[in-house]
Amino acid sequence: MGMSMWLALVSIAVGTYLIRLLPYIWMKRSLAKRQTEDGIGSMPTWLTILGPTMIAAMFGTSLVPTHPDILAWLATGVGVLVTYGVWTRTHSMGLPILCGVVAFGMVTLVF
Amino acid sequence: MSTTTQTLAVTPWKQGVKDAIPLLGGYIPVAISFGLISIQSGFSVLETILISAFIYAGASQFLFVAMAASGAPLWLVVIMTLLINARHVVYGPNLSPYLNQDKKWLPLMHGLTDQIFALAHARLPQLPDQARIGWYTGAAVLAWLSWVLGTALGAIAGGELTQRWPLINDVLPFALPALFFVLILPRCNNRLWSLTIAMSAVTAVILKVLGYPNVAIPLAAMSGAVLFYALKNQRILGGQ
Repeated sequence: MGMSMWLALVSIAVGTYLIRLLPYIWMKRSLAKRQTEDGIGSMPTWLTILGPTMIAAMFGTSLVPTHPDILAWLATGVGVLVTYGVWTRTHSMGLPILCGVVAFGMVTLVF
Repeated sequence: MSTTTQTLAVTPWKQGVKDAIPLLGGYIPVAISFGLISIQSGFSVLETILISAFIYAGASQFLFVAMAASGAPLWLVVIMTLLINARHVVYGPNLSPYLNQDKKWLPLMHGLTDQIFALAHARLPQLPDQARIGWYTGAAVLAWLSWVLGTALGAIAGGELTQRWPLINDVLPFALPALFFVLILPRCNNRLWSLTIAMSAVTAVILKVLGYPNVAIPLAAMSGAVLFYALKNQRILGGQ
C-alpha cells in the first residue's frame, strides 16, 4: 500500500471518527444550554430522514449479486425472505442474519 | 421503549458484553467476508486488519477496498466512504441526552456503529446514570474486537477456507444485505416510512444494476427522502 493509499485510509478513519464525535459534542452543548432532556426535537428533520434512507440504500446496493444470474437472484430472494421470516418471530439481529445466510447458501449449493 | 431504571445483577461492563453478544452473529460473518474480499483486492493481512480497526464501518470498508482495487481516484474514494458514513451524524445527538459529562465518552464515540447505536438507544435509558459508561464500554469493545478478529480470521484463513469450501466465498457476503435488512426493518412501522424505505432500496438496486454503484447510495437515499417529504406534504394538504 503506497503513501497516498495510507493517507486515504487515515483521512477516512479520522473523518469517520469526527462524523461520530462532533455531532455528539454539538448536541451535548446545545442540550446544556437549553437545560432540557429531549434532544430529538432539536434535531434537523432532514437528518432523521436521511439516516434510515441511507441504510435502506445500502441494503439495496448490497442485494445485487456479484454475478447477477437467475440463480444468484433466486438465492438472494430466498435469503431475504428467510431473514424477514425469522426477524418477524425474534425481532433480534443475530439469528435472522445467520438463517438468511444459511438459506442463501443452501439455494446456491442445491442448484 | 421502557425508561424504567434497572438495577444490574452484574457489573455494568459485563452487562454490556452480555447485551452485545447477539450482535456477533451479524458482525463476524461480515468481518470474515471483508477480510477475504480485502485480501482478494490486493491488500495485505496487516493492512486489512488496520482498515477494520481504524475505519470500523462495514459498508464503507467494502466500498474503500472495492474502489481502491478498481483504481478509482483516491479523493473520490475518501469522499464516497465518508458520504456513506455520514448517516452516523444522527447517532451521537440521539444518544447525548443519556450520556454524562465524562470525557471518556469522547474516545468511545469510535465504537458508535449502526448496531451499537441501535442497542444503546434501547438500553441506555433503562440503566442508572453511573452504569451507562461501563455498559457502553463493554458492548462497544466486544463489538469492535469481534469485528477486528473476524477480519483477521477472514484475511489469514480466507484463502484456505476458500480453497477447501469455495462456496464460503459466495455465501458469506450475503450477511451484509441481511445485516442492513434487519437494521432497517424496525423503521418500517408505518406506511409513510415503509414506502420511503422501499423507494430507497429499489432505487439503489436499479442504479447498481444499471452500472452506477458509486452514486447509487446517496442518490437512492435522497430519492427516499424526497418521497418522504412528498407523501408527508400530500397528507398535510389532504387533511386541510
